[in-house]
Amino acid sequence: MSQVFHDIEKKILETLQKVPNQTPEQLSTNTELSIDQVRRGIEWLRLKDLAIVDESQKVTFSLGPNGLDSLKNGLPERKLINMLKDEPKTFDQIRSALSGAGFNVAIANAKKNGWIKIEKNNSESLVSIKEKPIETPEEKLLSFIGEKTISQEQVSNPLAMKILLSRPNYIIETSEKTKTISLTDAALSLDTSASSSGAIDVEADVPSVFAARTHPLQDTIDEIREIFVNLGFSEILGNMTQSSFWNFDALFTPQDHPARELQDTFYLENLESKNPATSSQIKNVSSSHNKNWKYDWKLSESQKMVLRTHTTCVTIKYLAEQKPENARIFSLGRVFRNEKVSYKHLVEFNQIEGIVIGNNTTLRDLMGIQKEFYKKLGLTKIKFWPTFFPYTEPSLQTMVYNEKLGKWIELFGMGIFRPEVTKPLGIDKPVLAWGGGIERIAMLKYELDDVREFYNNNLSWLRSA
Amino acid sequence: MPVVELNINRIRKLVSGNVTRKQILDVLPFLGLDIESEEGDEIRIEYSPNRPDYSTDYGIATGLQGLLGIKKGIQKTPIKKKGNYSIKVESTVTKIRPYVTGIMASNGKLDDVAIKQLMNMQEDLHDGIGRKRKKSSIGLHDADKISFPLTYTTVSREHKFVPLNGSTEQTINEILANTEVGQNYGSVIENTKNVPIIFDSDQNTISFPPIINSALTTVTSNTKNILIEVTGIDKEAAEDMLSVVVSILQTAGFEFNELKITGNKNSTPQLKEKTMIYDPKFTSEIIGIEMSPSNMVTCLKKCRLDASVKGKKITCIIPRYRFDIFSPMDLTEEIALGYGIANIEPKLSPSTTIGQKNDVTIKTKLISQTAVGLGFLEAMNSSLTSKKVLYEMTKRDSSQIISVLDSKSQEHTILRDSLLPSLLDNLSKNIHESYPQKLFETGVVFSKGKPIDESINLAIIIAYKDTSYSEIKAIMQSLLRTNFKINSETKTSKNNELFSKGRHADIFVNEKKVGEIGEIDSNILENFRIRTSVVGFEIKLSGLIFD
Repeated sequence: MSQVFHDIEKKILETLQKVPNQTPEQLSTNTELSIDQVRRGIEWLRLKDLAIVDESQKVTFSLGPNGLDSLKNGLPERKLINMLKDEPKTFDQIRSALSGAGFNVAIANAKKNGWIKIEKNNSESLVSIKEKPIETPEEKLLSFIGEKTISQEQVSNPLAMKILLSRPNYIIETSEKTKTISLTDAALSLDTSASSSGAIDVEADVPSVFAARTHPLQDTIDEIREIFVNLGFSEILGNMTQSSFWNFDALFTPQDHPARELQDTFYLENLESKNPATSSQIKNVSSSHNKNWKYDWKLSESQKMVLRTHTTCVTIKYLAEQKPENARIFSLGRVFRNEKVSYKHLVEFNQIEGIVIGNNTTLRDLMGIQKEFYKKLGLTKIKFWPTFFPYTEPSLQTMVYNEKLGKWIELFGMGIFRPEVTKPLGIDKPVLAWGGGIERIAMLKYELDDVREFYNNNLSWLRSA
Repeated sequence: MPVVELNINRIRKLVSGNVTRKQILDVLPFLGLDIESEEGDEIRIEYSPNRPDYSTDYGIATGLQGLLGIKKGIQKTPIKKKGNYSIKVESTVTKIRPYVTGIMASNGKLDDVAIKQLMNMQEDLHDGIGRKRKKSSIGLHDADKISFPLTYTTVSREHKFVPLNGSTEQTINEILANTEVGQNYGSVIENTKNVPIIFDSDQNTISFPPIINSALTTVTSNTKNILIEVTGIDKEAAEDMLSVVVSILQTAGFEFNELKITGNKNSTPQLKEKTMIYDPKFTSEIIGIEMSPSNMVTCLKKCRLDASVKGKKITCIIPRYRFDIFSPMDLTEEIALGYGIANIEPKLSPSTTIGQKNDVTIKTKLISQTAVGLGFLEAMNSSLTSKKVLYEMTKRDSSQIISVLDSKSQEHTILRDSLLPSLLDNLSKNIHESYPQKLFETGVVFSKGKPIDESINLAIIIAYKDTSYSEIKAIMQSLLRTNFKINSETKTSKNNELFSKGRHADIFVNEKKVGEIGEIDSNILENFRIRTSVVGFEIKLSGLIFD
């Protein structure tokens, strides 16, 4: 452990290394720190196991009013002796000289000390000195204390103290708690000068700050976009609001298909596209529907505006308009489904869709691109299963093994556009198409089990994700 | 995708050939069937709507037999012409529900599980091909309760019979009002005075299409002979439905007898196979594997089709119930399935194109980076939001509102024309988090045009007690200056309830208004229960930093 000391700690340590066992008050005097600083420093050192704090009771003695009087004029019994120095005196004479309670105390103590004898003469008692009175231990103690305060340890004759304490108002006894600070062995050998004076406690906790950042879902979107670009795909943009023509009809979805119903697709209220496509596109798409699906295709259905249900409408429109010979393009953005919002369904989510036209457009190539895409995402355990999409044939889905969940999960779908889709739009070559939802991948990345979290904009999550 | 519940031991028995549980579970996905869950012997399987035959274990077993090599090729459906089963169509149905088709399935037996599956399949057919019974609908009847010939005609809504699962006679009107199917599908025939009906020769009501059968002909596990009738407004769809049920009942062991149909535009169904002749080179080019035509024929047979090589071409015979097959591309998928998707090796060809991000993406990202550099956290909100947040709580003008129809979620009904309202909503949901809170969002906003204009906006919001107009103006100007060297000014603007009076402005670039900036009004903050100061701005990036 690195030892970094606050200046307060340092001063206390140094002082105690010179003079062990000091009270906080003594330390305050010796370190020139305030008593508060000293108390704080002691606490820090104690927590670091460097200082030991002994709490004890301290008893002190000083003279009370009677004690102080006796110091000046002698104890009552001494006063008595002084009176009898020249001649014996009667009780009455003594009583008048030693006023009040002093008389009884003086007689009793002088008698106990063996200083006086009392003779009955007629009705009078005569008091005379019996032998030369020497200084008593109590008198010695009184003059030792003098005007000082002494500690219990300084009392050499505890019996004398006991006697004096028994006599009222001679001795004031006080008792208080005191702390004595000493150092542990480790602290005694510390070299406080070794730690540089500017150092701080680098291990202490500090308050949190939050980084400004882009949204985690946006980061995943950017990462996936980057992979598409690296695979040779160029980005095209398209509107989120589309005519049913491009969202459905151009993709061979019959007009009475359940997917086109209100309960699955968001239609825009009172909005339609007057000319959703060129007249030849409309004619060809219409006849492909009539011939293959065997129903009466209606222009009015295709004019209804919807929120796109996939980004495929953007890529197919690009193909129909540009008719590229050889291209890799992709479209990325929000798509919409009229579903109940739940932990696994959003009404609006991000989808990416890439298409390949021209060279190397076999199913094997399509699978190869997928494999490479997942490899770049760090997913290497993948397999392909057949599936169904209305506008591709053959259609496959990628299954990716997730180690944490311990199971195969479905990610991007892929396929080759049906000739029923491409031919009416004047596209003769096979077109590979692949893509899927981005939130699914982001959920794996951020280990979320509720997709709504991405759009809650919960600051505690955004700040910590 | 629809889901079917199956018992794995039943499937094993149907597939036969001592197939193991593991073999079945391994092969199912390669038929295009996802195993959704597995609990003991009960498994739930998701199937594609283009293969309604996979809604029963009979259909799935037929597919498994093919891929496992137990039984290959087409399952032929001989239709006998013996017996005298017929249905006469009267012209009154022409304007209501003109077509009827059907067949007699004889000498079979269905257990309760099979009956339940058939009923579920019927519902899937009704919803899919039948377009919620409008285009076509199907009825299965115990044929032994029926005296032929049948008549397909119309009756008034006061006509009475005992409907399926009922015990007393009810009128058509009562059935439409009181039964669940009546309530759900009554709209299919709502505009007609009379309704379609099928009677037998004893004048017993057999069926009230497309709503409900009669109780008289209920199919049970004791039923040996079944009449299948399909009515509709689309003859093709009606025959499609019929063919699927026939293929399933055939696997279940039934034989078939013709049901003669006479009447305007109607005809006896032939359930004829389709023949497709095509060039196998096409398949090799699509899959990317050189395969011999005879190998392809094997693959097609594993998918329960028939095929043969004739010269350089392949002749493929497709059973009637595989109406999902339109063209050689569909046969190519069948060949890929027969070959085994797992056996196709992915190939990475070098790209001959150079990838590139869109300019809009690049420049929007630059703006985001500057915003992050200035200390802002990126928020992402839905484009589809609520009237409450977008207009009511922010007191914004809703005259150009763009709504969607029939949203299932109250919070997602309106296309946003501004980003700030959602950012305020974000602040409102984070009042317990530490301040300052600084958010930005870039995203598409919508406005009425031809028919809708979409542009990309940037909005920024700052919330904490000491924030001010000056702070947000400084941020706004810095954002436009950095990278884009755009100088902007703020000019006093007319009152706007979103902002505090006298503390907001229009943002101008080259004399053109590009956005608004200001301190959010305390009344608005109160609506969002935000108890600190908030400033913000929103500008249109489209037309400013990209077209």
